Amino acid sequence: MELIDLAPLLPELILVLLVLAIITVDLFLSRTAKWILTPFTVAGLVLVGAACIPVWGVNERIFEGFYVVDDLSVFFKAATVVIGVLAALFAPSYLAQRRLPLGEFNAILVFGLIGMFVLASSADLITLFIGLELMVMPAYLLTAFHKTDRYSNEGGLKYFLLGSFASAILLFGISWTYGLTGSTRIEGMSALALAAGPAGIVAIGLLTVGATFKAAAVPFHFWTPDAYQGAPTPITGFLSVGPKLGAFALLVRLFAEGLGGMSADWFTVMAILAVVTMTGGNIVALTQTNVKRMLAYSSIAHTGYILAGLAAFAHAVDPDIRAQGIESILFYVLGYGVMNMAAFAVVGMLQRDPRRFGGLGGFAGLAGRAPWLAAGMAILLLSLTGIPPTVGFFAKLYVLIATVDAGVAWLAVAIALNAALAAFYYLRVIVYMYMRDPEAEPAPIDRSPLGTAALAISVVGVLVLGLFPEPVLAFLQASVSSLF
Amino acid sequence: MSGLPVLSLVVFSPLIGVLALLLVPRDNHRAARWIALLASLASFGFSLALLGYNTGGAEFQYREDLSWIPAFGMRYTLGVDGLSVVLVLLTTVLSVVSIFYSWDPIRVRVKEYYAAMLLLMVGMLGVFVSLDLFLFYVFWEISLIPMYLIIGIWGGPRRVYATVKFVIYTLVGSLLMLVAILAVAIAHASAGHPFTFSYETLRGFGYADGLQALAFVAFFLAFAIKVPMWPFHTWLPDAHVEAPTAGSIILAGVLLKLGGYGFLRYSLPLLPDAAVSFAPIVIALAVIAVLYGAMVSMVQPDLKKLIAFSSVSHMGFVMLGAFVFNVQGLQGAIFQMISHGITTGALFLLVGVIYERTHDRAIAHMGGLNARMPQYAAIFGLFTFASIGLPGLSGFIGEFLVLLGAFQYSGWVAAATMLVVIMSAVYMLWMFQRVFFTVPSDWMRRWWPSLKDMNRNEWLALAPLIVLVVALGVFPGPVLDAISGPVDRIIEAIDASQGLTSFRLPW
Repeated sequence: MELIDLAPLLPELILVLLVLAIITVDLFLSRTAKWILTPFTVAGLVLVGAACIPVWGVNERIFEGFYVVDDLSVFFKAATVVIGVLAALFAPSYLAQRRLPLGEFNAILVFGLIGMFVLASSADLITLFIGLELMVMPAYLLTAFHKTDRYSNEGGLKYFLLGSFASAILLFGISWTYGLTGSTRIEGMSALALAAGPAGIVAIGLLTVGATFKAAAVPFHFWTPDAYQGAPTPITGFLSVGPKLGAFALLVRLFAEGLGGMSADWFTVMAILAVVTMTGGNIVALTQTNVKRMLAYSSIAHTGYILAGLAAFAHAVDPDIRAQGIESILFYVLGYGVMNMAAFAVVGMLQRDPRRFGGLGGFAGLAGRAPWLAAGMAILLLSLTGIPPTVGFFAKLYVLIATVDAGVAWLAVAIALNAALAAFYYLRVIVYMYMRDPEAEPAPIDRSPLGTAALAISVVGVLVLGLFPEPVLAFLQASVSSLF
Repeated sequence: MSGLPVLSLVVFSPLIGVLALLLVPRDNHRAARWIALLASLASFGFSLALLGYNTGGAEFQYREDLSWIPAFGMRYTLGVDGLSVVLVLLTTVLSVVSIFYSWDPIRVRVKEYYAAMLLLMVGMLGVFVSLDLFLFYVFWEISLIPMYLIIGIWGGPRRVYATVKFVIYTLVGSLLMLVAILAVAIAHASAGHPFTFSYETLRGFGYADGLQALAFVAFFLAFAIKVPMWPFHTWLPDAHVEAPTAGSIILAGVLLKLGGYGFLRYSLPLLPDAAVSFAPIVIALAVIAVLYGAMVSMVQPDLKKLIAFSSVSHMGFVMLGAFVFNVQGLQGAIFQMISHGITTGALFLLVGVIYERTHDRAIAHMGGLNARMPQYAAIFGLFTFASIGLPGLSGFIGEFLVLLGAFQYSGWVAAATMLVVIMSAVYMLWMFQRVFFTVPSDWMRRWWPSLKDMNRNEWLALAPLIVLVVALGVFPGPVLDAISGPVDRIIEAIDASQGLTSFRLPW
């Protein structure tokens, strides 16, 4: 028996050690020294990020082909680290105000990241499923993290029940696939599925439902609002981004790598899902008067835009254009990750008083009370709308290029109209911040230096990546090329 | 001139002003005002260098070209032809005027106000000098948000409604335009060329008829909403009524020109076949806009609304001139844009003058102002006549040329449009009479003792516009010379086109 070379697994191994280290260190820290956990976690994550560098360009399959470390997975892992770091920076002061344990939060968060890493690297449906569960279990826990809050409990329970349901469907799809084709390998799935005839379609249908459930696409989105609303706000930011990143890693692996060969067959489904998701998410978001819920629903709309990238991949024939579809997904997921987490962080900062629930009223007159915070939030909202020069604009642009290039211009038109629709509710927050007077008893603002610094970095990042996306684009294109 | 990036200096010196404003303490209004004024003056000063534009030289001068996002062939390409030069100068002049005029009226959140004004300048100037479609789009969108804030924060009572309407309208158009820009660039790239958004490269390419038609419609929506053309004009009266005076000046003076500029720069040369085929319907809409704007102006009870609707009428002239496809029409269209910018800008400023004194703009509340404010009446009269199109003032040249062009296209179109010359005299003179000559209303008498004639600052703000409106009316030559090159190029592109040949449009 030969020994498996674990070098490509270095980032994952460090992550696992980090979890154990956090739990251990937490035990020995006094109540006043718990803050050390945040720099400790961030440092660990940075180390993980650094460990991704030697893995770049390895392109190796390990564990008998169950696990693949290719450049695509490295991109997902790097993006995961960015999101993880932001989550670790945004959460502490919110948690401290509610006396929620920081150590447990960090440990669970990093655990979730492991799941995302595994998802990104899965070369087999079994690995995929394990990764998914590793990711969503911590997500359920995080949703219910505020143990004494009934909304948090309710959200966690709903998320858990519906999520398990979706996992079961996905698993059912996997078993169908295995039953029909005798294989669970992702690569080359489409040839086998095609040979299986109509039964193969059922298998793929089940996989699609399971996967889009996790990505919160309409009509499989019903778990999101309650889960997002109930969870502590910075955690909501992470939930709207992290598991989404994982879900899209799953979708890319499954549909682009596995079923890419029969993309003409699932293009229509994906395109319709994309349009329904973006429109549905936007319409419901329009009616929200609570910023937290609005952001939760709008995250569904963003899922729709990202799905359009997958549809573009499916429709295109030329490999370069197909690659563009996947690239647009990756760019969007990363850009969206940063801007949305930061936007949720701002909502969290306005909830220093735990009775505040992120209503629009709390934003009234913010420009007068906290001009820098308001300006930052305004930039984030403009980015979410897709106004240049922000990363959100470039992300939408990328999807538009991919769809137009793939010859599905109607999808691009749908995105454009939806973006205008979304402008209405995003700009409403700006209206409150800049054009209304503050409430009689304005919400106290949390100005913890750590969260503020992370927010400033995110806002600057949103602008810089919007103006000069070239470095990320180069990284992106190189990583996607490992797929084709 | 060599070596100095004049255009970048023109576009970005206001941005430096914005950055400087960030460092000013919030309650230091004086410093904020001076910084804004100096930044806009700097931009104006640099834009004067464009007077050295050589009408006989290369098409685009003062070019700057830098790589920006090579992955998609996006470049930072700037350059101006005669059309851009006149519009850039209009923009810098009107920006300086409106920033200077805001000195007294704007008293709350002064720093943010000037930052928004300067940012708006960056966006507008960028639109006029971009030679890369992507860069153009970025500037186009950048110009949107500051105006949203200016109306929404410093506007009148229904400002939020007006500003949201303005933004949503404009965004719908511009996002569709983005799709069209991508479609055009991708069509060019998929013919085997490298991916580029360069205007000069994309311009000469023969796009398929279907793409031309769809892209034309998308561009049309974006530009027609901005112009605004009937029936896409409904945001304009709301926006104008609620906007602060300086916002109205910029909105009418420059922002509407972005639409007209878009048609002349992009729609016509880029998609000539579609432009030819769609011309009849655009002309029909333009004539409707001209007549409708004038008719609605007649019944407006509010000074600002009246001028806003007269803008719809005047901008209809621009559209008409642009789509009759002859030298007179196109020259008239461009001249009309400049003249409308100056005249309407001045009229909004003048409305602001009385609004500052009485906090009201209802025509019914005015009357007899001539007795208390003779200077004001004289200047208001000057611009009233300019707006009507009295010979010797700038308004005449543009309308006359457009009508001349329209006559060559069709006698009926010209005849219908000609009616408006009378109608505009009716609504403007009637308004003038009610405001300045009749017996003062009881309401106005309350203000009578405190009513003062124009002060020094107001005179200073108006002075450049007074000079320009007369100078351009008497010596239109330099402007017409400058724009003759661009006009010839548009005509060339149009003349070479047979229209859409592969299918017929319903008209």
